[in-house]
Amino acid sequence: MSKAHRNMVRSYAQDLRLFGSPAAKAGLALMIVVFLVLPTVVQNDFWLSVLIYAGITAVGAIGLNLLTGYCGQISLGHAFFIGAGAYVTARVGGELNLPLPLWILAAALAGAVLGALIGPFTLRLRGHYLAIVTLGLIFIGDHLWRNLKDFTGGNSGTSVNASAWVFDNLQLAGQVYSRNQGWFWLVWGLVGLTALLVKNIARTRPGRALQAIRDRDQAAEVIGVRAGRYKIAAFMVSSAIACVAGALFGSYQQFVSPDQWNLLLSIQYIAIIIVGGLGTVFGSVLGALFVGALPALIDRYSADIPGVQSSIGDSGFISVFALNQAVFGLLIVLFLVLEPRGLAGIWLRVKNYFKAWPFSY
Amino acid sequence: MTAFLQNCFAGLSLGSTYALVALGFVVIYKSTGVINFAQGGLLALGAYLGYTFSSNLPLAFGVAILLACASAAIAGAGFERIVLRRMVGQPPFAVIMITIGLLFVLSPLITGIWGFDNLQVTNPWNIRTIEAGGLVFGVRDLWTIGLTAAVVLAFFLFFRFTSLGLAMRATAFDPEAALAQGISARRVYAMSWAISSALAALAGITLAAGPGGLSPSIGDIALAAFPAMILGGLDSPAGAVLGGLVIGLAEALTRGYQDQLFSWAGDNVSVIVPYLVMILILLIRPYGLLGTREVRRI
Amino acid sequence: MRKKIMAVLATGLLVAACGGAGNQGGTGGGTAGQPGTAPGFDGTTIKLGVLSPLSGPVAVIGQPLTAGNKAWFDAINAGGGIAGKYKIELVQEDTQYKADVAVQQYNKIKGDVAAFTQVLGTAPTLAVLPQLRNDKVLAAPASLDALWVRDDNLLPVGAPYQIQSINAIDHYLTEGGGTRASKICTMVQDDVYGEAGQQGIDFAAGKYGFTVTNTQRFKTGTENYTGQIGALAAAGCEMVFLTATPTDAAKIWGTAAQARFAPKWYGQSPVWTGSFAKSALTPYLQQYVSIIAEGTEWGDTSVPGMKDLVARAGSQPPDYYFGFGYNQARAMTAVLEKAVALGDLSRQGILNATTQLGTVSFEGLTGDYQYGPAATRNPPRSNTLFKVDPAKPFGLAKVKYNFTSQAAQEFQFVKADI
Repeated sequence: MSKAHRNMVRSYAQDLRLFGSPAAKAGLALMIVVFLVLPTVVQNDFWLSVLIYAGITAVGAIGLNLLTGYCGQISLGHAFFIGAGAYVTARVGGELNLPLPLWILAAALAGAVLGALIGPFTLRLRGHYLAIVTLGLIFIGDHLWRNLKDFTGGNSGTSVNASAWVFDNLQLAGQVYSRNQGWFWLVWGLVGLTALLVKNIARTRPGRALQAIRDRDQAAEVIGVRAGRYKIAAFMVSSAIACVAGALFGSYQQFVSPDQWNLLLSIQYIAIIIVGGLGTVFGSVLGALFVGALPALIDRYSADIPGVQSSIGDSGFISVFALNQAVFGLLIVLFLVLEPRGLAGIWLRVKNYFKAWPFSY
Repeated sequence: MTAFLQNCFAGLSLGSTYALVALGFVVIYKSTGVINFAQGGLLALGAYLGYTFSSNLPLAFGVAILLACASAAIAGAGFERIVLRRMVGQPPFAVIMITIGLLFVLSPLITGIWGFDNLQVTNPWNIRTIEAGGLVFGVRDLWTIGLTAAVVLAFFLFFRFTSLGLAMRATAFDPEAALAQGISARRVYAMSWAISSALAALAGITLAAGPGGLSPSIGDIALAAFPAMILGGLDSPAGAVLGGLVIGLAEALTRGYQDQLFSWAGDNVSVIVPYLVMILILLIRPYGLLGTREVRRI
Repeated sequence: MRKKIMAVLATGLLVAACGGAGNQGGTGGGTAGQPGTAPGFDGTTIKLGVLSPLSGPVAVIGQPLTAGNKAWFDAINAGGGIAGKYKIELVQEDTQYKADVAVQQYNKIKGDVAAFTQVLGTAPTLAVLPQLRNDKVLAAPASLDALWVRDDNLLPVGAPYQIQSINAIDHYLTEGGGTRASKICTMVQDDVYGEAGQQGIDFAAGKYGFTVTNTQRFKTGTENYTGQIGALAAAGCEMVFLTATPTDAAKIWGTAAQARFAPKWYGQSPVWTGSFAKSALTPYLQQYVSIIAEGTEWGDTSVPGMKDLVARAGSQPPDYYFGFGYNQARAMTAVLEKAVALGDLSRQGILNATTQLGTVSFEGLTGDYQYGPAATRNPPRSNTLFKVDPAKPFGLAKVKYNFTSQAAQEFQFVKADI
């Protein structure tokens, strides 16, 4: 038989492939090249740190997308888990001085335990009620961080001296790499791993179960999906990933304080997965890049935007901070009204257009 | 005993503010199924507008309150018309995010116009007090409780005895059937947003008239009203008022007895007491104290 | 397929081989009085970084502070610049009071500036500190915490909060009508700033031999303080030391006024804002509140530095933070002049200059600071007590100017455990 067309799929396994078509394979190769090469080309510390923060946010967003996008459980308490991960790293990686793989695992484990403790709430509560209870989690977390002084350093925060193994001071083939360059590779490598993990969960049986629960959990129970178990499992995995993101955050910034784990952070994550696209892994990464890079871009070019006051004594009626907030709010509204499937939805549309090209009508 | 009663009074006053805000939440939820995260922003907007009416172009304080509530009502109804109308049929999660987006747009707007400084609203209550039976009652607190009680009563009368109130109840119960009866859903939605914004503005202005003055963080109190709304039941106005009072009392009493009873749990337990109370009650009654049990069919 | 992958990897490695960014430093060589070029110094202009919340809620502090920095440096530039030769240029970045944004902004401008003349906020400063140590850069934190005194990479100004608390207690016990048997209480914010104030009071309690009767910690943004005021009243407090910010202070004092609770209030310097002198609370404040701060009242020309400050302030309304930024800039100028005299404006050179700097006088606007190596620095131990007076520009009139106490002299500063 002659070779089938590149886009034709002849078995279920083939359909599930992550990078099946030649275009996808080329895309993968491109991503790998960009990943390896970018820090060597962009050596500017500012942009590297923006990308590193965006990458850490992407890890957290992938976790949240698993819980909210694939499983349909609204959680406003993501900031709590990120904070927990940062503090666990401070103690395990900093005080006990354990190496990188161990403190990341410790953070993930802590996240899984916390998720298992909080997950059972999803069995009793649904929808808005669950959202507000997870909101309460942030405030309870804030209280804990400020009062468990031995663990978190209390109000003044704590330094996080967890070493990132070889990435802090990379020396390859005679070249010395700066901390930001090494961290870029570490963080985006972990983004790739997390994305692979969640994508694999999503395209196999557990993923189908989660999506069934999201769409109609009672019907899912009827056909034999143990909704309770999967909800708790989704919470555990999502929290573990969030704690890993927190671990990276803490050890990159080398200092964390309780003021950082607030409602605004949770809302930021939700905005990222909405702007990126609910229920897609690629969307989480796109959303994180978008929401992470946008304030930096506005900041960098604020002098050129008319009417923006970028320093003391400047003319302009709106400050950069206010502009950031307003743009953030407007983005959320615009995306939801015009493109509810987010950036990933736009990307899919473009891709499908070209898939059928020149018969795209 | 005096301390206990004093704390209870403080709890009632705080609870009244929570009740107003929670009532606003419930009105919107009951008619449109949306939780309005922007209630805090509307509260702040109302308070700042009140400041402008009362201090900048000096009007009598009562007139300023009325004007501020009316302006906030127009703002709320306007938002509903322009943005939310297009979100009909979208999942509720999306609509929640839109209200959060509104909040993010309102905050820089307010601080852009009025700045970040602490402002003092010209008002007749200030820090005047009335003494009775060994207890000291702040005039502002008395007015807050009184206004809340009056508004809640008016609200229930409106819903029970006017045709517009009946229309709103009908739409909340079954929008399609109400439409079939000739009730304009559009008018009902706009009306509920208007009422809710006016309630928030009233809460904001009475709060701003207190000794603390007005600063942009005044909207944060709406976050504490969430537990009140959930506690009472998302779709029960009576529950919202009850929840607000319960949460207010719990918070004030915890704060009053922090040293004697709660120091083992860390400092400032009163901040998380609303959430703890809410979680406890939800574990027993997952739909709140007076909320309707959701019947789910496949 | 395999060939393609190999090709990709090979290209990647090749390009990577050209990409190490780890060995970046600057030269510092130069002669005394004529330093060579260095990061932030191109031979004619010295650039200084400012990491401040220029927008957002804390901008009410960040804006006047930065304006204060600018006013001082404008005056220096008008006179020719540092050592009469080198002008100063400020590179301002908005941190929005967030630690992670502060780190990003630091990374953005660290290559362009010689030092940072302002980093505002305890959390942002602590977040940036590891990077400062790594890159050997000097920064001046805009807060009065004792944490900064013993750090080589930081240039603090002014008497720390702990000293303010001790001096306040001293005044109360000597002239304020208090004795060791009086019931002294504290009401502090539940964060680092509050803890700094509390630390001072605890030290004073040890030195003067009294115990703190009651401590109330509150969360910023609390709406109703009845419970806490009630607890203080029930404990019979005769003096209460308050560590708060204006919004909360207004509510606390308002609740106290309503509850007819009238101890002697001593407030830490950031508690005050000008609008308090024109509010319904003013009668209560006039009677019961004193503020412990530094310097003198706005416009008091009996203090030498104040005349220039007011002249340079221009249209800036009277503001405590403006004065603080002004003082910071003066300290940084002293460091830079020393560095120029030593002939080295590189980062290490500026750090060296700090260790060799002697005592810097602020013309009475704040106490003289004895700089030098961080381990032996001595911050000013004196403060000024103010009372509320609506007739004055900032609402504060000085009661006792630049006084110190034995206990304040004895307070030991330690390096931050970070």
